[in-house]
Amino acid sequence: MFDWIKHINKEYPEFWKKYLAKFDHRSKRFVTLSLETSGTNPEKDVIFAFGAMGVFNNNLMIGDHFEIVIPQYKFLHDNEMDNEFVIESKQDKLGEPEAVEAFVNFIGNAVLVGHRIHHDVDMINMALEKLGCGRLKNEALDIEIMHRKLNDITDKQFSLDELARFYKIPISDRMTAVDDAYIMALLFLKLKSRLGIQ
Amino acid sequence: MRNSIAERIADFLKDFPPFNKLSYDDLIRIATDIRVVTLDKNQTLFKINDSLHDSFYVVASGVVNLTVIADAEENLLNKCLPGDIFGLRPFFARNNYMMTAKAREESIVYAVPIATFRPFVAQNSEVLDFLLESFATNSRNPADKQTRGKLISDSHFLPEQQPEMQFFQSLTYNKTPLKASTASLVKDVAQQMTEYLSDCAVVTQGEIPLGILTDSDLRSKIATGRFPVTIAVDRVMASPVVSVPENVSLAEAQLLLLKNNVTHLVVTVDGSDKSPLRGVISQHDLIAAQANNPGVLIKEIKRAQHPRELRAVREKMSELIRSSLTKNIPMSHVNNIGSEINMALIKRSVEIAILDLGSPPARFAWLAIGSQGRKEQLLLTDQDSMLVFEDVAPEKYKDVKDYFLRLAKRTVAVLEKIGYAPCPNGHVAGNMMWCKSVSDWIKQFQGWMTTPGEKSNEISPIFFDFDLVFGESKIEEALMDVIYTSTKRNSFFDYLGNDALRKPPPLSFFKKFNVEEEGENRNKFDIKLKGIMPLTDGARLLALGQNLRGITNTYMRFKQLAMIEPKHSEVYLNCAEAYLTLSKYRTLEGMKYDNDGRFLNLEELSRIDKDRLKMALEHMKDLEEIIKDKFRLTQFS
Repeated sequence: MFDWIKHINKEYPEFWKKYLAKFDHRSKRFVTLSLETSGTNPEKDVIFAFGAMGVFNNNLMIGDHFEIVIPQYKFLHDNEMDNEFVIESKQDKLGEPEAVEAFVNFIGNAVLVGHRIHHDVDMINMALEKLGCGRLKNEALDIEIMHRKLNDITDKQFSLDELARFYKIPISDRMTAVDDAYIMALLFLKLKSRLGIQ
Repeated sequence: MRNSIAERIADFLKDFPPFNKLSYDDLIRIATDIRVVTLDKNQTLFKINDSLHDSFYVVASGVVNLTVIADAEENLLNKCLPGDIFGLRPFFARNNYMMTAKAREESIVYAVPIATFRPFVAQNSEVLDFLLESFATNSRNPADKQTRGKLISDSHFLPEQQPEMQFFQSLTYNKTPLKASTASLVKDVAQQMTEYLSDCAVVTQGEIPLGILTDSDLRSKIATGRFPVTIAVDRVMASPVVSVPENVSLAEAQLLLLKNNVTHLVVTVDGSDKSPLRGVISQHDLIAAQANNPGVLIKEIKRAQHPRELRAVREKMSELIRSSLTKNIPMSHVNNIGSEINMALIKRSVEIAILDLGSPPARFAWLAIGSQGRKEQLLLTDQDSMLVFEDVAPEKYKDVKDYFLRLAKRTVAVLEKIGYAPCPNGHVAGNMMWCKSVSDWIKQFQGWMTTPGEKSNEISPIFFDFDLVFGESKIEEALMDVIYTSTKRNSFFDYLGNDALRKPPPLSFFKKFNVEEEGENRNKFDIKLKGIMPLTDGARLLALGQNLRGITNTYMRFKQLAMIEPKHSEVYLNCAEAYLTLSKYRTLEGMKYDNDGRFLNLEELSRIDKDRLKMALEHMKDLEEIIKDKFRLTQFS
């Protein structure tokens, strides 16, 4: 709330205004999100890749996808890390500002779904801040928490692999962020039907 | 934007028809429009009379069962495995779904939108053919015949298809029908028909069928006085004939009879009435084929010349058992049918072996032992057998034994081809140890009974459940005499009793199932070791103790025991029922997974089923008490 007051006079970039305008009504669309990052500290770490899949009406829509690699050359150089894998990668690449903008356009007002999603949201918020935007307004669901709730487990952590095995989802090719997003979407569909989320 | 998930899916699809006929770029385009649906176990994707979806489906993982309702029973039509397509109805028809698609286990399916796929079908005739074909196989539904008939006449792919599940017997018909020439007189033809016990005669010119004269023609045209008996046959025959090709299916034949309102179909080489005659199908043939009765299967067994044919019969039998179980036909009845067919199969296998090797040099008996001997084999479990041949002069002994060993090996091989795996412990007649002369066997049995467990741990109680399959019943009698008249049997009973009681208990103290704790069958219940074997062992022991001759079946043994010992009759009757319950669950499990059903997946059972199982297993305690009491067993004797 105070956030909003603080920024009341601030001029947002165009895409962000459009994004905010989408929240007039509630969305039925879900988007599973997986980020590749250099770590979990939003202050120091950066995003390497976005992977996201859309879920609509209990269906995973293959055409509704988002996969972008951000070649963080500067970050890699500063930290003396190898940057060959980014150059070699045949995936679509965008600079960070463009990638974040495209991502915000992609998700719209959909409900975000992820595995330990708060890390991802924090990372994206940091990137948005650099562009002079506010924080993401989307609702976010965490499949790990959903799983714990479904099975009344409070004291255990589950990796994505463990969850996939638990729900008998085949995990063969896990190479990029979007593969993880795909698995998450399948997990989400199962959890959704069992928890009775509409 | 590059869509790597779509590429993954295209990679998956390109190995399966009809997608293998499309180019990779097309597949990517199709994959981009695919929707992925996850199905929980037993979740229904669509059911009969649902309005059509806008897509058809490809199984990505798991198994989806397609079922139809016939006679108020749910019948399994097809199991769809990864790569299989189903739900094609929206392509070809406008009416609602004719079947139910339900996930048999956790599954993932790809929904391919019809609108996306239709252009590819239009461009590619191979794809269209494939879709038509699988639509026809997936919709084998009696209510769907009209549509199917049209599809079939459009393209020819019927001959090599699997037999229709409800009419799984092949159609047998008269291949040498009575023939008459056009000029012959009705009187003479009628005379011939009477002589050959035939209800029809085909009027031919050369080999080409021109018409047919049936009983009903004689009744309506001759006996009514409309035509004299001396008229030429071509004046009264029904012409033209309704002709069918040789490999006609039962369902189609039936349809043709109804459609044309005739009683006979004429079989010709190419199915037209301008080609040579091959036979006649009468209504009676259809009834015989549809009766679905085991008698027909046994007849087929008796006629079989080759293990391959026997194998086909065995598969039909599985089908028969499966449908009987789902129709709630009493388990004891199913058991009887199953064992009769099994016996016929083994018998025919021995006969085939004899045909190969020449007639045996001495009399012999082929005895089935173990579950086959107890007539309890419903699934394709292992085969156990022994061979006993009569005593011969010492100088001939070697040759005779040699012959029977070869015979046994041959038979075992034939049975193996039918699908009975050989016993893992080598309890088959092909083994030197279990192919012996009568006197050797008598010695063997006496040895087992007087000093059980002494020389070898190999004494297997299954040798005490034997049943004659082929050969001399006198030999079987001789062995039985040994078992039932031997006087010093106490130590033997002791041994058997302890063997029977040594099995781990099926239920824990808290009435939970004792499941497997490790290995690949973790968390599954070993119904054979913990449920069925204690009952069969107990029944065997008590039956031997009571000198119940000639009954080897566990169910019958308990029934008989209940009559002899009214004191315990309640326990025995409970055990008899428990045995049926347990074997039913085992059979169902085995049918589901095409294995021996030994390990029961408890997770898949409903609560009611589990309670039923527990009830059955609880009776075992009472049985144990009786055994302990009767044979005064001490734990370590």
